[in-house]
Amino acid sequence: MNEITGWLLDLYSDTRDGLVLWFISEGGERLRLRQNFAVTFALAGPDERLRAAWRWLQKQPEKPQLGRSQGRDLFLPQPVTLLSARVANAAAQPHLFERCARAFPDLAYYDADVQLALRHAAVYDTFPLAHCYVKYDDDHLIHELRALDSAWDVDPLLVPFRCLMLEPDCDPQHDTPRKLKVSYEGHNCELAFEPIRPLLINLRAILERYDPDFLLTVWGDTWLLPLLLAESERLNLPLPLNREEGRGVGHRKEKSYFTYGQIVYNGQQIHLYGRCHLDQRNSSLWGPDGLDGILEGARVTALPIQTSGRTSPGTGISSMQILTALRNNILVPWHKQQVEQPKTALDLLHHDQGGLVYQPIIGVHSEVGEIDFISMYPSIMVRCNISPEKPLPTFLGSDEEPGLIPLTLKPLLEKRVAIKLALGHMPPWDPRYKRYQAASSAYKWLLVTCFGYLGYKNARFGRIESHEAVTTWGREALLIAKEAAEDMGFTVLHMYVDGLWVKQEGYNQPEQFTPLLDEISQRTGLSIALDGIYRWVTFMPSRLNSKVPVPNRYFGFFQDGSFKVRGIDARRHDMPPFIVETQMDMLKILGKAETAAQLGEYIPQAQALLRRRINDLRRGRVPLDKLVMGQKLSRELKVYKAPSPAARALMQLQAAGKDKRPGQRVRFLYIRGGSGVWAWDLPEKPPKEAIDVEYYRELLWRAAETVLSPFNAVPTQARAFSFTAEGTRMEQAVEKEPVYGT
Amino acid sequence: MGRTLPSITMEFMQEQEAFGRFRRALRRSDQLALDDLFSAARNHLAAAAYAANALPMETFLLSMLLEEHKEVMRLRTLVEGVVAQQTPRLHPPAADEGDAEQP
Repeated sequence: MNEITGWLLDLYSDTRDGLVLWFISEGGERLRLRQNFAVTFALAGPDERLRAAWRWLQKQPEKPQLGRSQGRDLFLPQPVTLLSARVANAAAQPHLFERCARAFPDLAYYDADVQLALRHAAVYDTFPLAHCYVKYDDDHLIHELRALDSAWDVDPLLVPFRCLMLEPDCDPQHDTPRKLKVSYEGHNCELAFEPIRPLLINLRAILERYDPDFLLTVWGDTWLLPLLLAESERLNLPLPLNREEGRGVGHRKEKSYFTYGQIVYNGQQIHLYGRCHLDQRNSSLWGPDGLDGILEGARVTALPIQTSGRTSPGTGISSMQILTALRNNILVPWHKQQVEQPKTALDLLHHDQGGLVYQPIIGVHSEVGEIDFISMYPSIMVRCNISPEKPLPTFLGSDEEPGLIPLTLKPLLEKRVAIKLALGHMPPWDPRYKRYQAASSAYKWLLVTCFGYLGYKNARFGRIESHEAVTTWGREALLIAKEAAEDMGFTVLHMYVDGLWVKQEGYNQPEQFTPLLDEISQRTGLSIALDGIYRWVTFMPSRLNSKVPVPNRYFGFFQDGSFKVRGIDARRHDMPPFIVETQMDMLKILGKAETAAQLGEYIPQAQALLRRRINDLRRGRVPLDKLVMGQKLSRELKVYKAPSPAARALMQLQAAGKDKRPGQRVRFLYIRGGSGVWAWDLPEKPPKEAIDVEYYRELLWRAAETVLSPFNAVPTQARAFSFTAEGTRMEQAVEKEPVYGT
Repeated sequence: MGRTLPSITMEFMQEQEAFGRFRRALRRSDQLALDDLFSAARNHLAAAAYAANALPMETFLLSMLLEEHKEVMRLRTLVEGVVAQQTPRLHPPAADEGDAEQP
């Protein structure tokens, strides 16, 4: 019998071996082990149908072990009678379940489509990169497996993994890459794509010699790996991308889906076995510091690294809920059966509301404290024990045993608070700093999404009334905070869901706000923190009506010199870098003012900068790539009745043999004449004279106006020469006038 | 992502639109004053949303009234200040009034 301690890298099912696990041992070995791991799913329904299903299952080649049992469905008051089917080979279970569901579509299925990694995590407390003790025989069969650390450890042991990075020398959508940049452990080289044979031979040598645990690519999912695999097959030069021999790579199809009012595109994915492939351009959690966010996300969700790196936080939090259910013997329904209960119109009116969003007091304000509830909604879910199976809360607290959702969220919330507190007094040079930041950000999205998933009709553990209860108590908590602030002599300038902007004459030191924070915490039972004290902050009115405040349109500078902007041009994803940079540079000039009273000294400098940038634009001194707009396609091209600029740019791309899917961003320049746009990813670039300078000047003007108008410092000259005869295209970007019926 | 109920801003816009014919028939100067009233009501949309009144126009009208009253109070304070400065005091204390009571 052999023993090791090491880290679990990958886990998947295998037709021959059942369950395969890859470990990185502390000694540096990469070990492929296997484990006997049976998988059980359950059926529920009328007795005679269950008997028929029993007879049918007995005849199946998988020979499942059948039994009768009882289980707990979270949405049902009584235990459910079940027919359970235990399949010895984990790889066979999905196929058996699929056939069974087709044969008996009228039955309810439980624990049927749960990811293998989650099933394993529920039994062995494992998770990606878990530090484990393993005992196995000479046949590589595991006899004992124990996790030595927990996903909730703030400082786990660092894993000595090996990374190989592959990056084409340009964006394949934009141009044809000529070289592949390869780097690993201090080695850097470039391999030419033409001819491809030497590239494949060299890459194979590197893969075999270096044997990386992670293959980190740029455009690997959508372009690089499909190309390499196709070429290696064509030239009959096998490329060992997988560690698992004799197995092809896993493909996941591309998809576009609609969420939170916008369309999102996920490119196709390529998953490896025994080694992890992550594509920087196809991973929402890939941060500026690389893998940390992805690994932290994988640890807490227990999803395989390659899956966790590419899925939405919604899938992550859903997996965490499933894991909690499995560990607490709660059945995981395949399809949710419950629907929203009927309610009166008045109930709906009172409860179907979001967070409280105030209208701020327009203008420039000095010495303003911004205080925020820490993870307000998740904290409310935990504190008020909001879970689909629990009664709705009647106060900001609960006396009941914690339900499924609070059980899932509590450790995550506590870990995030611990990390946030540690970050508060950690210098940026601390080796843990970046990892903590990445983890905090990854957890934030999981926590935020958990609230959304409570209200999602297809979520397995969702219930709309619970979702509404969270916002109800969120609004109450914010109003309690407002009352506390006003009782203590503060003026409340603005409130936005979980944050308040408050001021009081002479209050400009953090410790002066501590009594207020303590009072709010005491009254609500929720944690609240001072985000910072603004030297000055300006809340802006609507562009069209200077008397109407806009909740999320402001900018301000904190005492430490950092600044916060919301709702202005620089925050828009479609804006060209030239406009964003100019607006931010103007803001930075204004930010030199220590007080609102000093702003007058810096406004002329900001105006001068604007004049210089307008001049640069007129004289063609702005590089073309700084003028590129990037808009998302909201639908298929053929569905457009009046094609948007992005759709017109896509038509040009399609004519050049390139395509984009809904949810993908199309980059283009505004030009004079023709269709008015020039797709940036076309092989040729437009001549500089073709650029629609007037349009960009109008954009620049609007950005400058946003920054300068709160101080009544908009230079009239700039406006005068920015008027354009064809102002119609600007309509897409501006707010609509209030419409009166006729 | 659908919406079961319109947001308070949507309700406000609908109510405002419902007065389109009324507004059209007003003189231009009155139209501007009406627009001001509606703008004033927008300052309290958050409170109107929280109130969740089945007839939101009542809340919007009260919001207009609230802003009007704030303006009246502001002007009253201003006027009282000006009046206090400009009105001659009816019985100005004599310079030696205090001394007169001295024994």
